[in-house]
Amino acid sequence: MKPRVVPFGEAALLVELGDEFQENVVGWARGIADTWESIFAFGPAVPAYTSALLRFDPLRVAPTEAERLANELLARGEFTALAVNEPRRLIEIPTTYDGPDLAATAERSQLGVERLVALHSGREYTAYFLGFMPGFAYCGRLDPRIVAPRHARPRERIPAGTVAIADGQTGVYPLASPGGWQLIGRTELAMFDPSAAEPVRIRAGDRVRFVPL
Amino acid sequence: MIRINEAGLRSTVQDRGRFGHLRSGVPPAGAADAFALAAANALVGNADDAAGIEIIGAPFRFSCDDARVVAVTGRDVSLTTRSRLPGWSSVFVRAGQVVTVNLGERTRFGYLAVSGGIATAPVLGSRASYLPAGVGAPLRSGDVLPLGDTDAGAEDAAHRIDPITYDGQARAMAGPHDGRFDAEAIARFFAATFVVEPASDRQGVRLGGVPIAPRPGELQSCGLVAGAVQVPRGGAPIVLLADHGTTGGYPVIATVIAADLGKVAQRMPGESLRFYRVERDEALAALRAQRRALDGGRVSA
Repeated sequence: MKPRVVPFGEAALLVELGDEFQENVVGWARGIADTWESIFAFGPAVPAYTSALLRFDPLRVAPTEAERLANELLARGEFTALAVNEPRRLIEIPTTYDGPDLAATAERSQLGVERLVALHSGREYTAYFLGFMPGFAYCGRLDPRIVAPRHARPRERIPAGTVAIADGQTGVYPLASPGGWQLIGRTELAMFDPSAAEPVRIRAGDRVRFVPL
Repeated sequence: MIRINEAGLRSTVQDRGRFGHLRSGVPPAGAADAFALAAANALVGNADDAAGIEIIGAPFRFSCDDARVVAVTGRDVSLTTRSRLPGWSSVFVRAGQVVTVNLGERTRFGYLAVSGGIATAPVLGSRASYLPAGVGAPLRSGDVLPLGDTDAGAEDAAHRIDPITYDGQARAMAGPHDGRFDAEAIARFFAATFVVEPASDRQGVRLGGVPIAPRPGELQSCGLVAGAVQVPRGGAPIVLLADHGTTGGYPVIATVIAADLGKVAQRMPGESLRFYRVERDEALAALRAQRRALDGGRVSA
């Protein structure tokens, strides 16, 4: 698809950059969100894998004007997140690999459980963006040998701290919630603390490694 | 201080929402019927970022330690002091006077504003409660909450703002993912009469009655706004409200305009809901009209 800007209600725009995950597009989406927030300062932005949601107050900024500027931003072509040159933090997640989907995932992937754990904990992931719930970081990419489709029927309640995988991604559920990912382990590390100055453990752009216990 | 004698079922402190941490996955929260809270704040002379109480389930009864101007808003609401007083108007209450908030059967969310605002400590830049993450807590009988300072007095009583017409008709703009639906599915969405499902909550209003199917194909998760009408695989649309997840991967067929989202939030399970397609200019005109109504009813304090 051709990158484009579409209205999302009267108080937001959605910048769509593509249909499929691409490492460089994630950085581009974050760059657009950063610029919207820090340079235009019209309102908050929410980047994701292939898009950026740009919010504004339509009683202060005419939507047509916001749209014109978003299109101008898009016309600059691909650029990356403003913070891309900062040293990236490494976040280590101590993990007990005993999730209810561990054995089935190993079998589906034609790997032993030990091999699956070694593959999951044996590489450094990038936190691409946060979304879905407070502190949930979408991290990737999984080793392609790990086959982990989403459950057709999501579980009603997944405990806080559950380490999960789905479709090339991995993450930790910060709060108890429904969810469709494959559950392979758990961590005691709190992922979201609203009383802390930095409420989330993992920030977008961080490097993430799971350390088996 | 405001003393909560009876707290209702699941009442919380709410303001217009927390928009500074969306990128950390923190939902905006805030009032589910944003115009109703904004009107209550305007009626008591509060700034538009003041916190009030979102009341779910009667009975709700309170008193304040000093004289205050109060207002209650919502779909079908009134106050009782010594006599019964209408909602959507400002009322002067004396120190210690016990006030009962009456929620009609068709009120899902009632809003109470007190001059000076509820002055609980902000969390991440807002006083909005977000219960799934333990931000704030449901109010309990016996709770005592701090109030901000105010100059509002008896002369500020009896201001009025016209309530929204709480009918089952919400205006919505198509998209942003209308391209993922056949023209026929979009036409059906804007012609259908949906029924509100009991599983609806502050995250979203779930709709049944008329399944709407997107075309097959995967969608990458994207940022969301309140009012977005998501269509999961099963075809039962969900209109997102204040506690919505910050991103999601279901296609959004349409987005309810901000001025009409309170109507959607206030629909009770079993009631009908229809969507009328409008363009952005009409959405903006409706928002401006609401802002004028707030300014017209605002007390000077």
